[in-house]
Amino acid sequence: MNEPLEIRDLDGTGMSALRRLILTLADSKRMMGIRYSDWLLGAPSIEAGIAVSAMAQDEWGHARLLYAMLKDVGLDPLEVEHERPGEDYASVGALDEPFDHWAGLVAAMTVVDEAISVALLGFSRGSYEAARTRVPKMLAEEEFHASLAKAWYRRLADSSHKARTLLHDSTECLLPPVLAWLGADDASARAMVVSGVTESGESMTEVLRERLRDLTALVEVNIDRAQPNSGWDEDRARGPGRPDEEAIERVRGDRNRALLVE
Amino acid sequence: MLERVYDVFARKHRGDQLAHIGYVDALDDEMARVYAWKTYDEEHWFEMCVIRRTAIIPVNRQDGPFTGLTGEGE
Repeated sequence: MNEPLEIRDLDGTGMSALRRLILTLADSKRMMGIRYSDWLLGAPSIEAGIAVSAMAQDEWGHARLLYAMLKDVGLDPLEVEHERPGEDYASVGALDEPFDHWAGLVAAMTVVDEAISVALLGFSRGSYEAARTRVPKMLAEEEFHASLAKAWYRRLADSSHKARTLLHDSTECLLPPVLAWLGADDASARAMVVSGVTESGESMTEVLRERLRDLTALVEVNIDRAQPNSGWDEDRARGPGRPDEEAIERVRGDRNRALLVE
Repeated sequence: MLERVYDVFARKHRGDQLAHIGYVDALDDEMARVYAWKTYDEEHWFEMCVIRRTAIIPVNRQDGPFTGLTGEGE
């Protein structure tokens, strides 16, 4: 195991890289929760709706714990959570838009939520003490997300032609932005690997491919041929695009926070 | 949909008896596990398990929900 990271020993580059890593994990968790919450109504059964509702709560709880880590690197979590515009979100691009159908959410549950878990696994094995202690419980909760994702993925893959086609298309659409995010190999990502804070994008990508290879093959998607999309923006820690504005307003709680009187 | 009924049993502490706490409808065992865990999450359970209702063998009654005659979607 790596020696515990001393935050005060980080130079400017290391500090901003750790900020970015925490932010991109927290923002992705927050957006994953939003995408689950989109399906509180309209899921194929009441039980499925209850499950995604609980999973949305899990994701927001995880996001809150991750945002709280920003205090260690000199940022105010409250400001970060409530005052940033959408273009400042470092969330994985695969969650920018809502999913039009259940197959889209199942593909996201399978590919995106799993990728975030793989990134968190790398973070939890690293040298940052807060990640070592807080992330394992998140990963334990995520095991239920992964179970449900796999069960639904198999079910849809073995279902109607329409369901298979939607699942195939959604998977192919989600993989490029996910691979770009998880496999990021820019200066900031490398700084975190060198510091022992997390694992390399290449190794985490291989873990994801290994976990999903057999599953995506069910709908004739060869995950080994999937490639990251282009346009990675090192400053924004994400690919092109931004979360849709309506989602960000919901994240910030704009409409109803305006009712609060200081 | 070919959903089955699964009965949910749980106990709060290691020494407690398993108690029937409810049911879920699910397409397969794996979904039933997750649905049960996420639906009946009001307690910090020590143990939870699900069983297909059709696997329950009635002992003294031939009516009611556990006889395999009701509650199945297939």
